[in-house]
Amino acid sequence: MTVKYFATIRTYTGETERRVEDAPADLRELVTALAGRYGTSFRRAVFSDDELNGEIIILVNGRNVLYLQGLDTPLKADDEVSIFPMVAGG
Amino acid sequence: MFGWSGSVLRVDLTKGAVTREATDIALAHTYLGARGFGGQIIRDEVAPDTDPLSPANKIVFAPGPLTGTFAPSAGRYEVVTKAPLNNVIAASNSGGAFGPELKFAGYDALIVEGKAAKPVYLWIRNDEVEVRDAAAIWGHDTPDTTDLVRAETDEDAKVACIGPAGEHLSPIANIMNEMHRAAGRSGVGAVMGSKNLKAIAVFGTGAVKVADPERFRAAVMKARKMIQEHPVGGAGLKAYGTDVLVNILNQTGALPTRNFQDGYFPTADKTGGESLAAKQLVRPKGCFSCVISCGRVTKVDNPAYKGFGEGPEYETTWAFGADCGIDDLDAITKANYHCNAYGIDTISLGSTIACAMELFERGIITTKDTDGVQLTFGNVAAMVEMTRKSCTGEGFGAKLAQGSYRLAESYGHPEFSMTVKKQEMPAYDPRGVQGIGLNYATGNRGGCHVRGYTIAIEVLQNGAVMDPRVTEGKAGLDITFQDLTAALDSSGACLFSTFGIGAPELAEMLSAATGVEYSVDEFMKIGERIWNQERLWNLKQGYTTADDTLPERLLKEPIKTGPAKGNVNRLGEMLPEYYQLRGWDEKGVPAKAKLKELALN
Repeated sequence: MTVKYFATIRTYTGETERRVEDAPADLRELVTALAGRYGTSFRRAVFSDDELNGEIIILVNGRNVLYLQGLDTPLKADDEVSIFPMVAGG
Repeated sequence: MFGWSGSVLRVDLTKGAVTREATDIALAHTYLGARGFGGQIIRDEVAPDTDPLSPANKIVFAPGPLTGTFAPSAGRYEVVTKAPLNNVIAASNSGGAFGPELKFAGYDALIVEGKAAKPVYLWIRNDEVEVRDAAAIWGHDTPDTTDLVRAETDEDAKVACIGPAGEHLSPIANIMNEMHRAAGRSGVGAVMGSKNLKAIAVFGTGAVKVADPERFRAAVMKARKMIQEHPVGGAGLKAYGTDVLVNILNQTGALPTRNFQDGYFPTADKTGGESLAAKQLVRPKGCFSCVISCGRVTKVDNPAYKGFGEGPEYETTWAFGADCGIDDLDAITKANYHCNAYGIDTISLGSTIACAMELFERGIITTKDTDGVQLTFGNVAAMVEMTRKSCTGEGFGAKLAQGSYRLAESYGHPEFSMTVKKQEMPAYDPRGVQGIGLNYATGNRGGCHVRGYTIAIEVLQNGAVMDPRVTEGKAGLDITFQDLTAALDSSGACLFSTFGIGAPELAEMLSAATGVEYSVDEFMKIGERIWNQERLWNLKQGYTTADDTLPERLLKEPIKTGPAKGNVNRLGEMLPEYYQLRGWDEKGVPAKAKLKELALN
């Protein structure tokens, strides 16, 4: 699967996207593994007491995981995951 | 009088007469200022059947009661007039420092009426007001005009002016202040042009007095803190500007692409705020009293599109970018510079060029129409050249400068104009985000995002969340946003302050500033009154429920690719509930009980 990073998340990851082989079973497994790779800043941006930080937006195939199953959203090998901080404009 | 300045300045250009009137305090209490106050002046003083470009139309420049105070981002004013684009009450909002300067000069509104016999500009220095000859300035672009007017008046004067597009009476011409801030939409620049009014320079030495300084200080500091501690208001917008939205809308599948033929643009990231910050950003910039600084001072080093200026904003990037099938950010920024210099609305022009590209690819127009240019999607050089020609009015550009509805209609295909009530929609595809479609359809000035920004809830997770794919609850959401925004616009605050604060903080600041107690309910009621006021005007213009719709493409043609593939907008599921919740009948007419409740005639 492909994981894409945007805005300030890129400053934590140092890259704009990552190809993840051996797809994790669900989103929690994925972001836990990513937090292990990218470290504290990324972990703090994504997690709040082991739950999703309210200031992070994660899309799986364009759907906000809040409308799927949150961190329990199951993942497939061909999924695209997008991770954003809160952004705005207009 | 507190918050308000107490005076309205009226300039009759036909007679060259300048008069001052006391601000109608009852009107100010009822409509606050800016959009609502100016809208009521238009309703009271301009006959509904007036030709927008005739001397009988009037144009109002109105700040709000918070404008010019140190409330966060309270630097806004509105240009209110009958719109050349589509006959609605145009209320075009701009930031910078022009609005505060009008307050410092002592005015709650400037009303310009009639028509000068030859080009003129206004020079307002407190209560000294002159109508000056602008023969030597006419024809200049907006930066040069600003410099020339300042040289003749005061180097610290704040200048709002039109460029050549306004002089040519383009119905998508804007008004630029301080060179880079735009009262962008509905063609307000053409009204100035029709009056031979090239510019307004203002310099004031007064201040805005507030009723309860201690209470106001406390309310302002609380609001400032809330915005600064918000991830968007405090950091995100300053770092990446509004253009940061390119990627999240694209990843949601709601970035309109190639004239709304699709909702996903694979290479959009090359045009996003992250790329802009890396390639072009010189520094962020804020308007008067701003705590956010979303503005972008930019430069382009690429020799093909070399330039220096401000922007582009998200909507502009989209209009000249994904909507035209283009991912060259340097070219997009160059197009933006052209538009700002010549005074034309970037959303409408970009969307019009996209419309022309579709007409070309469908064979409806050919190189015989386009001055020999292969006007295909993705043709970067053609996009920039057509932007320049639209600005100057050369060749095919003169047709583009009429906006997409008039362009497409002239070739017998208005269905390819992506407009609501003849005004181009902005950068959110209603097939991927249902509620914004209802907002476009019911928008009092036509296609517009800043009158009911449901994207904040449907996509951006700002304060609350609602699934963008569902229609349930969207009528109520739209109404709340529309009313809140109408009141906020009329207060003089910036819409972006709502990325941090809401109606309670705005009502408290207004109460402390004006000495008039506004509860949250009363604040929202003012917004509802303004929305209905604008609706009543539209009904007099002949607009009906048939105009509360979207281009057929968005209702019938599913998005072809990307995350929202297969979706259309389901307006029919939302609109009846919207009318019902508004207290309007099935024909979209406000019921008598609603008008009585809102004290509207």
